Amino acid sequence: MKCIGIILITLFIGGCSGMTHVKPWEKERLSRDSMSNAAGNTLVSKFDAHVYFSKEASKGGGGVSGGGCGCN
Amino acid sequence: MRLFLLLLFLTTSLFAYTTNDTLSQAMQQKLQLDADKITIVDFFASWCSSCKKEIPHISKINETLDKDHYEIIGIDVDKKLQDGIAFQNALKTRGHLNFRVINDPENTIVNAFNPIGMPALYYIKNHKVLKVRYGAVDDIDDIIRNDLKTLE
Repeated sequence: MKCIGIILITLFIGGCSGMTHVKPWEKERLSRDSMSNAAGNTLVSKFDAHVYFSKEASKGGGGVSGGGCGCN
Repeated sequence: MRLFLLLLFLTTSLFAYTTNDTLSQAMQQKLQLDADKITIVDFFASWCSSCKKEIPHISKINETLDKDHYEIIGIDVDKKLQDGIAFQNALKTRGHLNFRVINDPENTIVNAFNPIGMPALYYIKNHKVLKVRYGAVDDIDDIIRNDLKTLE
């Protein structure tokens, strides 16, 4: 019984790890403009950035340089 | 406990080629590399803007390399083959792509290499990985030139 429990827990943990991983070469959809908060709308994007930077008291680092391909 | 460790090992198959690894026979056949040359394998995709930026620089250094000792090949990981080919043709017409490219729409090659970022550069000789570089790098042509000096 204990053994079966260990097997089930192991498979469960293994299964969870498989659900979350998106490999760098699988980020085609994530790199699209439509996947950004503003969905490619420059005005919305600027407004969002303004609100964010005002709240955070900092600027920059909000982009997805590299097309979301996992670099840097 | 042993059973637990064995199952944990089996469920976390995270194989990736890294420095000092030797390519499998199947991979050697797929890539068709010249064992005597240092080959730079560049993984890229049409949607990866860092890759787009780097390819012209890699092509630039390819013009200056001694072809008897070095080779550059690209692996296009676009899942839609026509997108990849259109991207390569657009680069070629502008003179920005001058090396051999293998299309990998099934992602079998990139899955085997399993890079942690893109673009990814692998330096390979005698089917052995000598060095790996991941991600966007400024002035990649200078970096490659320096890498090749240290690997000689």
